[in-house]
Amino acid sequence: MIRSSIKGFESILASDIPKGSIVLITGAEGTLKSSLAFCLASSYVSDGEAHGLYATLEQGKESHMRNMSYLGIKESGNLHVFDYRDIFIEWQDAEPDMLKVTEEVIASYKEKYKDLRVFVLDSLNALYTLSSGDGDLRKSMYYFFSRLRDLGLTSFLVVETPPLQGDSEHDKAEYFLADGVIELGTLESAGNISRYIQVRKMRATKHDIGKHKLVIGQDGLSILGSMY
Amino acid sequence: MERLEENLECSTDFDEEEYRAILDRIIRANRDVVVLSIVEETPMCGIDLIKEIFFRYGVYLSQGLVYPILYTLEEDGALKARATKGNMRVKEYFVTQEGKEVVHKKKGAFIKALEDVLIFVKGDARDKE
Repeated sequence: MIRSSIKGFESILASDIPKGSIVLITGAEGTLKSSLAFCLASSYVSDGEAHGLYATLEQGKESHMRNMSYLGIKESGNLHVFDYRDIFIEWQDAEPDMLKVTEEVIASYKEKYKDLRVFVLDSLNALYTLSSGDGDLRKSMYYFFSRLRDLGLTSFLVVETPPLQGDSEHDKAEYFLADGVIELGTLESAGNISRYIQVRKMRATKHDIGKHKLVIGQDGLSILGSMY
Repeated sequence: MERLEENLECSTDFDEEEYRAILDRIIRANRDVVVLSIVEETPMCGIDLIKEIFFRYGVYLSQGLVYPILYTLEEDGALKARATKGNMRVKEYFVTQEGKEVVHKKKGAFIKALEDVLIFVKGDARDKE
């Protein structure tokens, strides 16, 4: 259950995110995108039967896991972390197409763990940067999204957005293609800065579109009430 | 490619294109056994493994097919990584004590499966003669 993975998430989502959905987790730096994605995926596979894959293009595995531990986010042995660092170091002259590599990585894990149900990509921005310039990237992304759906994977794709973005950011193709968009950000009020979570879009799931306070407690992330 | 060419020179009683296609399918489908067997012989990093497989069999396995094998075998405890002598940033993988049993069993199953197919295929071929 995704909606019970974080305390308070049930007050935003009336039902669970449908299996096989592709959800973007967007926000500026430091808004806990990676932490939220890891938390959702880890919780999803914590029953011990299903498996998940967390592909990190930005942060090394050790550093990422240290951060999760620091934030009190529990890890599940069934959530496998794929760190691209070795490929970057060893293949720096060859510049492999990371979109293709990512598809193969998913296929390899699916082959090994038949019950692979959740996939996290951290981040889509890095994947764009490292994908080969051959052909139309929009088209490639369309097919990438289709393949994720075909595999039945519930996918969370981390997208870093500029801090002062407008709605124009949401004109991008991936926002139309995705089944859901969860936005994370910060709000300043009377000198206090608070983090928020907002479910902007979630197909086939009744949801509250308001901004809710997101806090880090001793047991990881929690969602408090509406910010208005 | 020399080793593959040597294999091809030994026998000419088959279609080379067909041979390469079959070899490609075998290597791809059983890349965990191939990776473990090579690393058991000589510890190496991902890029060297990919080169070695190409050198031995003429089959190019891309990064997305080889690194997940290394990482999942490491998670299972069959492989361990250590920094290479020449470059501390590059990790080479070696078979652990626990992994030796895994290699032995995987190789055994692989050989048995191929032998079972070969017994039938060779026997069938002889019958036709």
